[in-house]
Amino acid sequence: MSTLAGVAQAFCATNGHRFVGPVGAGAFKETFHIVLATGAPQALKVYQPGFSPERTGRELSAMQRCSHPNIGRLSAIAEFYHDGVQYLLSGEEFLPGGTLTSRLRRGLLNGPETRAIGGQLVSAVAHIASHDLVHRDIKPDNILFRADGVTPVIVDFGLVRDLAGASLTQTWLIRGPGTPYFAPPEQLRNEKAMIDWRSDQFSLGVVVSLSALGFHPYQEACASPTQTVERVAERGPQTGRFVDAARQAGMPFLIRMTAPWPVERFRTPDDLQRAWEEASR
Amino acid sequence: MPAFHQMGHDSENLLWTEGLAQYRGAILSPVNYDRAKVAAQIEWGRGQDGFETVFDPQLYVPNSERGCLREWPYFPNDVDTADLDSDAWWDRVLEALVGVCVAIRPTAVCSPVVLPGTYPDEYFARMVSVGDQLCTRLAGSSLRPVQTAVVGMPELATAGRPMAIASILSRSRTDHVYLVLVSQTEPRRELNEVEEIKGAMRLIAAMRGAGLTVTVGFSSSDVLLWKAAGASHCATGKFFNLRRFTRARFEEPGGQGGGQLPYWFEESLTAFLRQSDVQRITPMSLPRLGTSPNPFGAQILEQLATEPARAWLGLAWRQFMFWFADVENRLETGTTTSAALLRNADSNWRMLDDADFLMEERRNDGGWIRPWRRALSEFRTA
Repeated sequence: MSTLAGVAQAFCATNGHRFVGPVGAGAFKETFHIVLATGAPQALKVYQPGFSPERTGRELSAMQRCSHPNIGRLSAIAEFYHDGVQYLLSGEEFLPGGTLTSRLRRGLLNGPETRAIGGQLVSAVAHIASHDLVHRDIKPDNILFRADGVTPVIVDFGLVRDLAGASLTQTWLIRGPGTPYFAPPEQLRNEKAMIDWRSDQFSLGVVVSLSALGFHPYQEACASPTQTVERVAERGPQTGRFVDAARQAGMPFLIRMTAPWPVERFRTPDDLQRAWEEASR
Repeated sequence: MPAFHQMGHDSENLLWTEGLAQYRGAILSPVNYDRAKVAAQIEWGRGQDGFETVFDPQLYVPNSERGCLREWPYFPNDVDTADLDSDAWWDRVLEALVGVCVAIRPTAVCSPVVLPGTYPDEYFARMVSVGDQLCTRLAGSSLRPVQTAVVGMPELATAGRPMAIASILSRSRTDHVYLVLVSQTEPRRELNEVEEIKGAMRLIAAMRGAGLTVTVGFSSSDVLLWKAAGASHCATGKFFNLRRFTRARFEEPGGQGGGQLPYWFEESLTAFLRQSDVQRITPMSLPRLGTSPNPFGAQILEQLATEPARAWLGLAWRQFMFWFADVENRLETGTTTSAALLRNADSNWRMLDDADFLMEERRNDGGWIRPWRRALSEFRTA
């Protein structure tokens, strides 16, 4: 059992909650399924002590500002001492429907599923953008489902960028934060001035492409993920098979969503939502 | 879409000159006019059907050439020494600028920008942030915000820079960009750096592709290039028949009064001609491509025939400005294309060269036409 699991168990014991088990782990925090004393399930996040208080604060602040049915809800923040160490904990809604990653293990999304799930995610990304926030880590692992199995929810704002605030990423880093396979070129190249909501648009485009077409827009049939990421970073063109498949699937907007330069993508969330709705009719 | 009149020194009368009615609006100049005069220009514009008045605060004007600018309440005395990264400094500028504009009520207000020494991403990001703050301050008013973008042309010659700059500028909350291209080309010379021109065209095209309206300020005969790239509007003024925006562009021609020379704009050569050239070229009837009859050109020719010693500077300005608005309209409606006009000009220059026909000015040899054609060709095939 990890140290953070011990913290979560102690927190539950102290407050009359029931510890169920671990849900997921990142580099700086772990998430656990607990049941509150009221009987309501909750996701409890426990942060490593001392980890960038600015970044943690920004994550929690971002979640507090967002209020959207397809974005994870933050219900409580608490500080808890365990073995003389202060820990930061957050309580978020528990999403029992599993991740998009696990859903895709059962097969690609069909047309109606893609339209329904993708449309909700577009709406969520637009909502995040309306608060001048960039999630920067939209990927299947960070998309969970509610109990109905069809309502997607974006979670984990750990890498969120607040465009109204100073960047927390060092300019000398060769690569900015994010999961490389889903990141746009400007994130991979740490071109901070170019990062805005269109970076999330790119990542969502990759997620939808993987979910509906089965491959990354920049991945040749025989290319490795590393080669694919290199191609994105170099702003190479999307593959011919992707362009053809997106058109055949009635989703030409995916080509624009995943364009190498932000200026080539949809400029405003409204533009993206309109294109998505038109294609879904 | 129609052209804009770039207001310059003593050019108010051109606003209401009969024959220049094709101009859709005016970019107002606080450098050249005080508040009362600009307010009067706006008032006049309000009385014209669909005429737009765009207030450009012109903070990017070099120190030596600020004219009336220092009298405007928004103009900061410390613009050359201030910490331009300071939110508080920009807040003060914006507050004063919006205060002035709400009082004089132009149709649109350009965001204030400064002229940088270099053009890193952070500069453009900061200027967009200032533009977004202007949007916030103008929300609820009838004044439309416009994002100003001052871009160095040498910067645009670097691969990827046009797209990077367009990516940052297109984040703006406005849907209208006022583009000021800063060139190192000497005044009275034409642009001739292929990569720079191509980069500027890519920048314009990328922003247009993103759905932005792009008005290119301080244009001259290069209107052919910017329209080919998709520019929504181009703006020119009487002085831009000779020079574009450069750090030295505000230098008035030196010497005593009356020292300015009149130039005739010849579309068939895409060139400006001195009087003796006009008199020798006109009888040659060089092939043209549907050039519209220019009433001011006709007046000049008539005057040259009857009173060759009489000054025609005022008519020269009007002749150029009529051509500018007319060609923008022809390009917009598709009755001609930039490529065809330049090809025709190239052919005519070749004919003159074969005939050993030399213009009065040594450098007026059409040498810029092929770089323009090459830039246009490579832009279109990229």
